[in-house]
Amino acid sequence: MLLPARTAVLNYLYGVENADIAQIMEALKPLYGGERQFTKDRYMDHVMSLEANGMVNLCSYDLDQNGELRMRYEINDDGRYAVDKYVDKKYRK
Amino acid sequence: MSNQGMTTASADAKMAAVNKKFRTTGMTTGAFSGLTYGIYTVLVLVAGYYEPLVSAAGLLAGPYVCSGLNDLFAGIWLTAYNAKSGRIREMGRSLNTFPGKMIVVGSILGGPIANGAYLVGLAMAGAYAIPISALCSLFGAIFAWIFLKQKITKRVMMGMLVCVAGAIIINWTKPEGSDNFTLGIIFSFVAAICWALEGVFATYGGAMIDTDVAVNLRQLISGIVDLFVIVPIVGGLGLLGGTLMAGIPAIWLAVSGLSAAVSFLCWYKSNSTVGCAVGMSLNVTYAFWGVFFCILFLGQAVTPTIVIGSFVIVFGAILVTMNPLDLFRKGE
Repeated sequence: MLLPARTAVLNYLYGVENADIAQIMEALKPLYGGERQFTKDRYMDHVMSLEANGMVNLCSYDLDQNGELRMRYEINDDGRYAVDKYVDKKYRK
Repeated sequence: MSNQGMTTASADAKMAAVNKKFRTTGMTTGAFSGLTYGIYTVLVLVAGYYEPLVSAAGLLAGPYVCSGLNDLFAGIWLTAYNAKSGRIREMGRSLNTFPGKMIVVGSILGGPIANGAYLVGLAMAGAYAIPISALCSLFGAIFAWIFLKQKITKRVMMGMLVCVAGAIIINWTKPEGSDNFTLGIIFSFVAAICWALEGVFATYGGAMIDTDVAVNLRQLISGIVDLFVIVPIVGGLGLLGGTLMAGIPAIWLAVSGLSAAVSFLCWYKSNSTVGCAVGMSLNVTYAFWGVFFCILFLGQAVTPTIVIGSFVIVFGAILVTMNPLDLFRKGE
């Protein structure tokens, strides 16, 4: 069974230095891309809620070629601790 | 200004707008959760005025039939909402994780135990039960101190004392003709304690799960446990069948379930955007709305003790969970 989407976002950030929302969605697309919940707004909500819960940090932001805001997030110690504790190793690359 | 400088300024402005929108959503949903919980409270009381609920024998059957149907209806509304946004499979996925299982423990504490106790309290002590149950923020701070190792500041301590003072004011004169008034107040305290524990479990388990899905699980589990475990134990199956057959009270409970669904959706959303402290303080305004609507629509007598006590408790609860001045301070 797949991880819940929000957990999958945190789990993905565990394995990379940092990532913006487009990169997170691109990485999770093969597993979640076919679902109606797979929208930019929903994924923005996932990372911002994870940030509000103290598991990831916003590390930088800028504008992409289209003038859209691009926010980059990195996992922090609390987030890493949560993944270590609650996410089975089989879900990690 | 160089191009680089203009781009940075523009990115700063967009980032500020995104943060402002996120915070505004958190505050609005928190306040709306309080209003809709007040509406839910009144609608459940209205359902209880109809046969067979109004003449239900026994202490627990009526409240648990109401609570169970309300939560199950709320769960069904939320399932429809999550199905529409493509998140049905998220429920099974969430239950499969440890944080998801913590949500289940929290939902049993907050649903069958706290909600049942709240409705028994309402049945016995009327609108007086509402502000007492709002003491959950006080107990929430205490449990957060014990279990989540969060410190109690002077402001929180002050807020707690204000809450207790409010509870004393409300109980100063008990209404005439209600034998079980004190027992009703005790049940309201049980509700407050268990809701606070639910808050601890929901905070512990909910950070990694979509809050809309967590609320959906909470209401479905609560409704199913109420109707299929507790109602048979308290001998309420006949009453449950009678309520469903009667139609009108079941319709009121379906509407109250919708209100509860919106309220919980907003509350969990608020907690996960502006933090549990602010979310909880905005949510407890239901104590004010509940009493206000009871006075407006159900003929609840307006006594000085209930009005002053309600305001004092809500103020104390806000003080426990946040510095009231923060509400007026501009975000960064």
